[in-house]
Amino acid sequence: MRVIVLGNGLCGTIFAKTLRDINSEIEIDIFGQEQYLYYPRPNLIEFLAGHMPYDRLFAFSEAWYSDHNIRLHLAKKVEKIDPAAKTVEFKNRGVKEYDKLLLAHGAYAGVPPIKNVSISGVFTLRTLEDALNIQVYLKDRKKVAVIGGGLLGLEIARALNAGGAEVAVIEFFPRLLPRQLDARAATLLKQQIENMGIQGLLGKTTEEILGEGEATGLRFKDGGEIAAEMIVVAAGVRPYLDLAQAAGLETDRGVIVNAHLQTSHPDIYAAGDVSEHKGRVYGIIPASFQQAKNAAYNISGQLQEYEGTVPSNTLKVMGVHVTSLGLVNPEEEGYEEIFKLDEAQGCFKKVVLQNGALVGAIWMGTKEGINEINRLVAQNAKIGDHKTDILEDGFDFSQLKK
Amino acid sequence: MEKYECTACGYIYDPETGDPAGGIAPGTAFADLPDDWVCPQCGVGKEYFQKLS
Ligand SMILES: Cc1cc2nc3c(=O)[nH]c(=O)nc-3n(C[C@H](O)[C@H](O)[C@H](O)COP(=O)(O)OP(=O)(O)OC[C@H]3O[C@@H](n4cnc5c(N)ncnc54)[C@H](O)[C@@H]3O)c2cc1C
Ligand SMILES: [Fe+2]
Repeated sequence: MRVIVLGNGLCGTIFAKTLRDINSEIEIDIFGQEQYLYYPRPNLIEFLAGHMPYDRLFAFSEAWYSDHNIRLHLAKKVEKIDPAAKTVEFKNRGVKEYDKLLLAHGAYAGVPPIKNVSISGVFTLRTLEDALNIQVYLKDRKKVAVIGGGLLGLEIARALNAGGAEVAVIEFFPRLLPRQLDARAATLLKQQIENMGIQGLLGKTTEEILGEGEATGLRFKDGGEIAAEMIVVAAGVRPYLDLAQAAGLETDRGVIVNAHLQTSHPDIYAAGDVSEHKGRVYGIIPASFQQAKNAAYNISGQLQEYEGTVPSNTLKVMGVHVTSLGLVNPEEEGYEEIFKLDEAQGCFKKVVLQNGALVGAIWMGTKEGINEINRLVAQNAKIGDHKTDILEDGFDFSQLKK
Repeated sequence: MEKYECTACGYIYDPETGDPAGGIAPGTAFADLPDDWVCPQCGVGKEYFQKLS
């Protein structure tokens, strides 16, 4: 059997590794459009921060691929898939046949429609090439604006700040990490990033990149402007859909797969950031990893069902632990919110109750009690009698076990 | 000995089992892993690991 893997990111790599562990006979060819050996993308953050040398970015050596009898073709972009002929095609008429094909070609950074955005000095960060370009451009420049105050935007800001740049983060929502935090927690996080020397500009819609030929700043919808010599856009990612759509596969936000990670064509599977399972496009490593493994088992003939991935509720952002559970920003009436803020310790805890039942929580700046609070939110536990003291440090959760 | 978790993928390094496939003998503490050791699941560096509470 011949298996072709499209993409040499985490998903394609883990898939090939798993399939080889299961079966030593199957021919495996990976085609990746990037020119580099597999590297985990989070490493790019530490690389830009100056904490990780170039050589350590890569997870597996070339020898590893040959030892595992996996043929890796770098800087080789697949231009077309022909499901009827079971082939993939390359530039200059190269064609290769498969018995099974895995789409693991991931996602790219989205760029919102901002005027003048294609000017030089505007970057996204998805690939090692992006990171190297950022590094070169930043060599004799200092002022950076990061558009996007979500997880990736904040991590990029931290990295460039650590590397010596002067960084401002621009967020469209009135708070940082809008999906994970409420207004108070976000204010505390903003204070903390400002202590690190990163400026936070919230509730700002970027309308235009200023500059001719080269970026010199940003203009916001409210008319305000800031100077910036470099701009990094971190406004979410989008699965690559062109190839799958041209091949007639079913797509929505991602390439749609069933529980066996099969697309609408039975010989073509999809996994990782490119895929959409039960309406979800995950875009995170744990989901890509699980899908890659399940797809490998399924293609080898040992059927396994992918059951979805529960994203971790605890993040570490700017060195701060953030646990965000359930409903953290109730917008309707009928909810009770109780919080404890300790600015000096950089600590914030909050519980959200509905009729005495715990339906949401934020734990920030501390990991104490996160497993317990996680469990209680999952159970919608009635914590009415302890709704205030549960926020105290050293609270004895065993009182709530019944 | 303390266990460490990969913050990118969730893999847990347990010193009791080590990482035999990566050439790490059972009984190796996290601190004693070589600098170029990577997460056996996703490949990130040691920087991405944190102590399990
Ligand atoms: C800076 C950064 C930090 C991150 N940190 C975290 C984190 O801490 N935790 C977490 O869970 N997630 C994190 N992520 C997200 C995580 O990296 C992705 O979920 C993961 O990379 C998905 O892997 P994948 O293999 O599905 O897709 P990708 O990594 O996108 O790999 C797909 C590969 O296929 C290639 N390709 C595309 N089209 C073609 C074609 N036509 N022909 C050949 N090759 C093609 C692409 O160029 C790419 O190399 C981070 C992402 C970034 C950018
Ligand atoms: Fe990992």
